[in-house]
Amino acid sequence: MKDSLYLAWRYLRHHRAKTLLLVLSLSVFLGLPLIMRAMSRATQESLLARAEATPLLLGKKGSSLDLVVETLYFQLKGAEPITEADIDAIHATGLALGIPIRTGLMARGFPLVGTSLDYFPFRRLRFAKGRGLAMMGDCILGAEAAETLGLGPGDALLTSPSTLFDLAGVYPLKLHVVGVLEPTYGPDDEAVLVDVKTAWVAEGMGHGHQDLARAGPDVVLKRNEGTVTANAKLVQFNEITESNLDSFHFHGDPSSYPVSAAIVVPHDEKAGILLRGRFVDAPTRQLVRPAQVVDSLNKQIFRFERVLQIVVWTVGLATAVMFVLVMALSWRLRAEELRTMTRLGCSRWKAAQIMGSEIALMVGASVLIAGVFGIVMAQYGDTWLQNLILRGS
Amino acid sequence: MLGYIRHPVISLRDVGFEYAQGGFSIDVAELTVASGTRAAAIGPSGSGKTTLLNLISGIERPRSGEVRTAGVRVDRLSPAARRSFRITTIGFVFQDFLLLEYLDVLDNILYPYRLHPKLRLDASARSGARGLASDLGLAGLLKRRPSELSQGERQRVAIARALVTAPKLILADEPTGSLDPATKQQALDLLFEQCDARSTTLLMVTHDHGLLDQFAQIVDVEALGPAEA
Repeated sequence: MKDSLYLAWRYLRHHRAKTLLLVLSLSVFLGLPLIMRAMSRATQESLLARAEATPLLLGKKGSSLDLVVETLYFQLKGAEPITEADIDAIHATGLALGIPIRTGLMARGFPLVGTSLDYFPFRRLRFAKGRGLAMMGDCILGAEAAETLGLGPGDALLTSPSTLFDLAGVYPLKLHVVGVLEPTYGPDDEAVLVDVKTAWVAEGMGHGHQDLARAGPDVVLKRNEGTVTANAKLVQFNEITESNLDSFHFHGDPSSYPVSAAIVVPHDEKAGILLRGRFVDAPTRQLVRPAQVVDSLNKQIFRFERVLQIVVWTVGLATAVMFVLVMALSWRLRAEELRTMTRLGCSRWKAAQIMGSEIALMVGASVLIAGVFGIVMAQYGDTWLQNLILRGS
Repeated sequence: MLGYIRHPVISLRDVGFEYAQGGFSIDVAELTVASGTRAAAIGPSGSGKTTLLNLISGIERPRSGEVRTAGVRVDRLSPAARRSFRITTIGFVFQDFLLLEYLDVLDNILYPYRLHPKLRLDASARSGARGLASDLGLAGLLKRRPSELSQGERQRVAIARALVTAPKLILADEPTGSLDPATKQQALDLLFEQCDARSTTLLMVTHDHGLLDQFAQIVDVEALGPAEA
């Protein structure tokens, strides 16, 4: 057997290109169904785990799937927002805690997530470095965001401009990094978490500027009774500091300010049922159970996977036929070698062993490659697949 | 000078053979080649020289008669036993050398050892192959591929492969057919030298009548005659 394997190995090594092509084809044939299954299972489990950890979600009436995906995975698809008043209403019922989630802006490529302090204990987020949010303008980085950006407590980062070519638009806000989270291997790792009011300031709904009462006449355009109108010379703050914090303010009714959705945490099971009952016929709002929504998404993924499996098996069959054909042609081309083996006195069993060894080595290498690839994909593929499914990138 | 009896290594008696698909037959009334003899098989193309080698080596089985090689009734052996007999008793040298490009020179020489469980590729086999390669002037070429060798070097590798298992008989089918005259004589000299050194019997098919005076026995295949009824 050792001799057969040796001869087979020397032959395969000599014909590297052909061997590599066949091994890769076989790896795809063997690995694809395994990889698909592993990735699909990992993705389904991962999706479900986060959904199950979120009891209820309140959002604008519409696609429940969009609501779940946008809120749990901080997607920036610009869903119709609800308002702070909706969260106040949840609190007012005494049945649940409402945690606002405001998405829409980015900070150096990572989603800026406006929320409340309740979010951290709710998600059981722990700090690797620094502390929690203490004042407007503070931000906490997810583990991956911190690592990618190379930032930590004491550093600063700017929100990405949302109105780049509008000089009168909203300018980026400089955020102070006060903490870095431990890895969660979920969407929180990529988030830049701020207080919801900071998110509003970053979006231009709140602002801070020099005190007009103390401003010189060169800054004032006109003064009416109780109203001062400033000109463009007025200094607007793009960083919230302890010294200018008091100058930041919001115009209008804060309860009408937008939040993308709210995580609703009922105090008990009964409270959850009561709350859901109240939203059954709500004309403009929906209260959904993310686990239920993700479960239906998983069923769709499973159906899609079954279709894909048929395609994969068809491709696999074609690959197997190609493999057999290549091997048959190869041995036909090697007829002279086989004849020489026979003339020298090689036994038929030995000749079959040599041929079998070549096939076994190639199949073995393919299984190994497919296995390694399968393990890697099972380990990291769910993140990639989540990105593919949820973000379309 | 002491006289001694040399037993025949090849002995054919009343042999009749024809291919299953017909079209060619050969009859041999009697043929004997003594041990250690250097014999040449001659005859025009299609006279059955290669078929004669195939009968002697057990590649083909006669319809009738008796084929005895190295004292063994080859015609009575099963196909598996004939293969086993062949690889342990006979060395082959082919006209086109038939070396394997995916093996280096040393592995080509050792090739027969890898083809049958009866032959053990151990340290002594490897050392024997290296010694043989050295005797044939191949010592510096052991890691080369056949395509990196000259025709003469390839033929020397083929000779080494035939001799490596220390066979009792070498069957050479026009081994110098594709060599130029100078290389041809060199290859022959090496083959004769090695066979003589090991007292190995050589039966060589050749078309080159100019070489015949170097052989002790000439076998004219056409004249072997039909088996007598």
